[in-house]
Parts: sequence; structure tokens; C-alpha cells
Amino acid sequence: MSADARFLAAEPGCHLFPGEGEAGCGFEAPSVGMFSPEPWLGGIPGSDGIDLYLVLLLVALGASLLLWSWFSKKLNLVPGRRQGVGEMFVLFIRDQITRPTMGAKGDKFIPLMTAIFTLILFMNVSGLIPGMLPVNSDLSFPAMFALFIFVLTLVVGMRQQGGWGYIRNQIFPPGMPKPIYILVTPIEALSVFLIRPLTHALRLFATMFAGSLLLAVFAYGGWYMLSLGAEPALAGLSVLFSGAALIGYLLFFLFEILIMLVQAFIFTLLASLYLNGSLESAH
Amino acid sequence: MLVELAAETNILRIDWVKFTFGLIALAVVYFFVARKAVPKVMKVLDERHDAIEGGIERAQRAETEAEEIRQQYREKLEEAHREYAQELEKAKEQRAAIIAEAREEAQVEARRIVEAAQAQIEADRQQAFVQLRNEIGSLSTDLAGRIVGETLEDSAAQNRVVDRFLEELEQNESTEQAEVR
Repeated sequence: MSADARFLAAEPGCHLFPGEGEAGCGFEAPSVGMFSPEPWLGGIPGSDGIDLYLVLLLVALGASLLLWSWFSKKLNLVPGRRQGVGEMFVLFIRDQITRPTMGAKGDKFIPLMTAIFTLILFMNVSGLIPGMLPVNSDLSFPAMFALFIFVLTLVVGMRQQGGWGYIRNQIFPPGMPKPIYILVTPIEALSVFLIRPLTHALRLFATMFAGSLLLAVFAYGGWYMLSLGAEPALAGLSVLFSGAALIGYLLFFLFEILIMLVQAFIFTLLASLYLNGSLESAH
Repeated sequence: MLVELAAETNILRIDWVKFTFGLIALAVVYFFVARKAVPKVMKVLDERHDAIEGGIERAQRAETEAEEIRQQYREKLEEAHREYAQELEKAKEQRAAIIAEAREEAQVEARRIVEAAQAQIEADRQQAFVQLRNEIGSLSTDLAGRIVGETLEDSAAQNRVVDRFLEELEQNESTEQAEVR
């Protein structure tokens, strides 16, 4: 099974009801292979090489830069529509993400959270382009974000509370009876230093991965069931089938937009929440 | 082939090239957003906040100023009313004083005129009385002389007669007056 396996189902001759003189073939559902596009430049040791993901990353990067240069040009005291939306965006990051988790002292992280939210959003939304994939459906990218946040929480925490002070505050939550620590400390240590960064990355990856797989199933299935070459009765039936698949595709497309927004928001919110543990001495 | 397949379909692999490029992308977006976009937007938000706050402050200042001016105006108005009332009072007093003075002067003048008139009348009466007496004297003498046919040359005697005559007359007169009363 190669990366091109996903295109087999979409080959013109292969439909649910074979026409005259055509050989019937089974439906090959899109597999995880669709997340390994053929690299255009391979041969890099330990890597898949340069493929569609990096191109889409570049697009997302360009879109993020364009959006923010558009939002921040010619700002007036009396805002126009464009400026109003840009300001709402920044205020949204402040009032919905950094302020509720970190309070006013987290205001210095507004630019970082804005950058992370914007970039992740565009890296998710790239999956809405037909035939493309969400950039975050490759674990490398969510892992990069999560690891970056994890390292940042360590650095900020150790700067604010001292090296041991930060670790102590994390694994010995204050205000508990001593024997409880036997139970709590291993759990907290595991949670803060292992499970948190892992789930942080996996949550974003898994939703993008599953979402685009689901959309692909609807798209390929719909195309597979559309058998216009078959005899009229069966062709009519096939149109009904693929019509149902199209409706399902559109519904999940809308749902996917929501999930992409929500996941970008949740990732940023959690990043802000983890950073708060580094800013505060006790949580 | 199997190894290749496993490598290709391992969805949990982390590709260092993608990882690195992702990190670079994040860095680029972060530096752009943190250096240019967010500070500019925040600055404008702060400026607007200041402008609105300043506007409210200016309005409040103008309001207090207006209130002050209104107060001053009211005080001035009250003062003017008070002054007017005082002036009116003073004018009334002055008027009364002038009237009283004028009246007094008029009374004095009237009295003076009356007195002068009375004195004049008295003088005239005296004069008339004296003249009358003289004329009556000479008339009586003339009359008496003509009646008697002789002229009383002796003026002393003449005077005596006349005086006696007049005294008698006066006496008669006063008795008559007494009787009338």
C-alpha cells in the first residue's frame, strides 16, 4: 500500500455499479497512507523529505503574516471595519485566553499566544482546501508546538520560582496533609512533566487527523458510489447514494471548521494555563 | 518492503525536518506579531482609551466650570438685586427727605409770607389809622370852624379838641365792641 492508495478509489473506472464491459472493483477506503504524501525532495536522512505538508506550512505562515500585516496597517483612533476585527482578535486573545488563565501579569504573553493561535488556526484550516490536509495532521507540528510550550513553562517557571522551587511547587502542591504526598507526588510529576505535553500535542494532532480522514471517507465514498456508467436504474440509485454522501460531507465540513477553530483555541488556552503554573508560585 | 511500509504508515512518527520548519514558522510569526502587529494594535487601543478618558475628563472639567460660572452669575444677580433694593430704599428715603424738607421750607416760607403780610397789614393799618386821625382832625376842625364860623388858629387848642373828640370816639367804639361781645 503506497501513498497513492488513496487515489485508487477515485480512479474513473472504479465505481459501485460497474458499467458494461467494466470490471467491478471493491471500495478502498482512504487509509492513513493519505497522511504520507510523496515527497518531492527525498533523501534527507531520518526524514520523509520535503512534501505537501511543508508547502502547506508555508501557505499557513504566509497567511498568518498577511493577516497580521493587514490588521496592523494604518491604524486610526477611530477604527474602520478591518481595524475593528483586528482589535477584536487581539482583545479576544487577551480577554478569553491570557487574562482568565494568567491574569494581568500574563499580558506579556499576548503576542506569543496570538502567534500560536493564528498559526495553528491556519495550519488547521489548510485541511478545508479540497485535496489538501491540515498541517497539524502530521504529529511533527503539534509536537513542536507542545514541546515549545513545555520548554517555555520550564524556563519561565525556573526563572520565576528557582530551579528546585518550580519543580517542588509542581510536584508537591501545597496545602495538603503530608501522607497524601505519597500518592499525589508521583501523579503530579507524571502529569506535569509527561502527560501534559503529550496530550497537548496529541489532542490537536488526533482531532485534525481524524477529521480529515472522516472527510476523505465521505468524499471518496461518494465518488465511488457515483456510477453514471451503469444501467439507468442503478445509476439513479448511485446518484441517491452519493447525494447522501455529499450531504454528509458538507455537514462534516462545517463541523470540521468548528473543530479547527476550537482546537486552535484549546491548544492556546492550555498553553496559557500551563504557563500560569510557571508564573504563580502556588497553584 | 515491510520496513518501508511500517515507516510510511507510522502516524506517530516525528519528522525532524517538519519539526524544524514548524519551529521556524512559529518564530517568524511570533516575531512579526510581537514586534509589529500586536504592539501597534495595543497602542491604538491605549490611545483610544486615553482619548475617551480625556474626553470624559474634559467634559467634567467644563461642567464644573459652567457650574462655577452659573454660581458666580447667580451671586452677581443676587447682589444686583440687593443693591437695587438698597438703592430703592435709599431713593425712597431721599424722596421722603426731600419732600419733608420742601414741605418745611414751604411752610417756613408761607409763614414768613403770612407774617410779612400781617406786618404789612398792621403797618398799613397804623398808617391808615394815623392818616385817618390826622385827616379826621383837620376835617373835623374845618367842619367845626365852618359850623362855628370861626377859625381856631391856635393849633394847640385845636389838637386838644381833636384828641378829646377821638378819645370819646374810641371809648364809644370799645364799649360798643364790648356790648357786641
